[in-house]
Amino acid sequence: MTREKMGNILVWILIIGFGVWGLPGIMDRFANGHINTAYGSYIPWGLWISAYIWLIGLSAGALMISVMTYVFNVEAVKKVGKMAFLVAIATLVGAMISVGLDLGHPLRAFSLILDPNLHSMMGWMAVLYSAYFVTLCVELYFAIKKEQARGEKQKSIKKILTVLGIWSIPLAFAFHGGVGGVFANVVAKPFWHGPMLPVVFLAGAFLSGGALFATVAYIWRPSQSKDEFIKMMVFLGKTTLALLILDEILELSEVYVGTFYSAYGEGHLWQQILFGQYWYTFWIVHLLIGVLVPLFLLTAKSKSPGAIALAGLLIAGSFLAVRLNIVIPGMLDPEIKGIASAWVHSKLTFSYLPSMMEWQVLFFIVAVVMAVFMIGKKVLPIYQTAGDE
Amino acid sequence: MSKEELSKVSENLTLETDESRRDFLDKFTKGIFGGLVAGGVVSALAPVQAKANKDGSNLNFSTAFEPFVLPPEHPGEDAILRMMRDLQRALKKPIEQRHWNMVIDLRKCVGCDACSVSCAAENKLPPGVIYRPVIQQEIGSYPNVGHVTLPRPCMQCDEPPCVPVCPAEATWKRPDGIVIVDYDQCIGCRYCLNACPYDARTFDFGVEYIDGAADAPKVFLGKDKAGKYETEASFEYAKEWKREDDKSPIGNARKCHFCIPRIEKGMLPECVVTCIGRATYFGDGSDPDSLVAELIALPNAFRLKEEVGTHPSVYYIK
Repeated sequence: MTREKMGNILVWILIIGFGVWGLPGIMDRFANGHINTAYGSYIPWGLWISAYIWLIGLSAGALMISVMTYVFNVEAVKKVGKMAFLVAIATLVGAMISVGLDLGHPLRAFSLILDPNLHSMMGWMAVLYSAYFVTLCVELYFAIKKEQARGEKQKSIKKILTVLGIWSIPLAFAFHGGVGGVFANVVAKPFWHGPMLPVVFLAGAFLSGGALFATVAYIWRPSQSKDEFIKMMVFLGKTTLALLILDEILELSEVYVGTFYSAYGEGHLWQQILFGQYWYTFWIVHLLIGVLVPLFLLTAKSKSPGAIALAGLLIAGSFLAVRLNIVIPGMLDPEIKGIASAWVHSKLTFSYLPSMMEWQVLFFIVAVVMAVFMIGKKVLPIYQTAGDE
Repeated sequence: MSKEELSKVSENLTLETDESRRDFLDKFTKGIFGGLVAGGVVSALAPVQAKANKDGSNLNFSTAFEPFVLPPEHPGEDAILRMMRDLQRALKKPIEQRHWNMVIDLRKCVGCDACSVSCAAENKLPPGVIYRPVIQQEIGSYPNVGHVTLPRPCMQCDEPPCVPVCPAEATWKRPDGIVIVDYDQCIGCRYCLNACPYDARTFDFGVEYIDGAADAPKVFLGKDKAGKYETEASFEYAKEWKREDDKSPIGNARKCHFCIPRIEKGMLPECVVTCIGRATYFGDGSDPDSLVAELIALPNAFRLKEEVGTHPSVYYIK
């Protein structure tokens, strides 16, 4: 059995598994709204918002691969540009479902597309995501057209793709830097507030999205020679490694500034992240699985494509932990000391662990993302994969 | 309340006054064109006021106010009576010329929670939604220990951080200083909850008091009887709100609004009248003769978190 076929079977098994397991959670969300979630009024955002920024980051990262193909004409990834668009679309859809289900009145959100409050960073998000979704669909359309066209027509489509690709660079910086801005602009939350967060968000997005794409390109490799394939994987591996190092430098800076004089500022929140109840999210899920193991795999001498793909999967998957460790700690401090015991209710507390229903909904969303990708790959002429030959 | 409904309210109110429809349209048109010119300048300077300026007249529910007779003033009278006189005086002024303030005397607050409970009853608040919790704080260490009780309504900030963050323009500051939420427009993203430096907004998750209660009709006071409270409408923002079928205010951000429907009818906010120690004062801070204006000027009056630059309309005395 080829790698691609095995990949197909495995992903469909995951889609069905996650879908079946997640379905009761989705049903609960529609039947009971937000009642069975673990977040409340003092920790208003939880797993779904973290998942939203995780997924939208994956999308932005995948988009950057397509920019390399169509704007910078990087030889190693010239055959996977369309696949990158598809990954970007699938993860964008997931992100929108995740943030949509988090809203109290999801259907009203559509009015934001036409009438947003542009004083609000979140109002900008509605505009930017709409622009991004349209851009992605148009780019994918032309990318497919380009393969079918010949001669002069192909050249003119290539030009259009370059222009669209150039446009998507500031767009990606705006919409993902903007997500960072949604948090960074909240003066009431010192843990989020500051100029660093949008940059951290961008670096994380390019890392996690690029890493995910290394896995995707490995499983569904385009029709290419073995040399070309290895060249592509090595390129994706090197890019991922460089972004991983950049991301870790930024993280180190954050941890160092946050903990050096731990008695002041947000030191106690960093204490919570590093040594609190959920320490394993940082040390095991993020640092071990998401950083150290991939670092070992990516710096190994053998440069095996499989190892690069595995590293990509570990980074992309565990990045949810990074997002959770940004979103949740920011809300752990009461604005006024003693408020939690002033009026007691389960929705008025300062502790948070996602409920089973929240996890189920998340897994269902991941199943949808994978299904959009698999169906898109099947229906659209993305490229002839090695297995199709 | 949707924009259309707000316009209807405005129209009705306009007709109730002496102003004719023609005058109204004339002013409205001038306002629109004037607004177009001035809007560009003003919106850059005062984004939080944008909504109020746009619909300003529509939000003035008080034009229909008819003052009622209060007992004659006499020395030693209850502060409530003076505040009611202040309130009546303020309501005769145009909405733009009032600024509602609340003053809470921490030396008199005994932490009985009467204000929290009466507020919950007035606004039919469900579990998990609270507009005015009373925070108990221990200060000092043994043997020098003190206790502070701090009621925390919405601060009705003059620079409210919750307003500009709203992606749907569903929350804004009225010309009289009250920050309100348009339940019909709010998408329930909870960004404003995070932006508030006083934790003054809570989300209506749709929880009910009778969730999980025994259901035994005709046997004892069961779910249907006890649940009557849940279906009672609240009258926030001068509209009837019934919490049913996931309709607003379920799924919305909610907050203290200084009991707008009460004050517009000349009644003091529920928390003021139920305070057993007369620790909460309310009135028009822009009226130099009002009780709150006098109290705000005391040297021991202060506001919470002055350093964040929100300029709250709620003062405390210690």
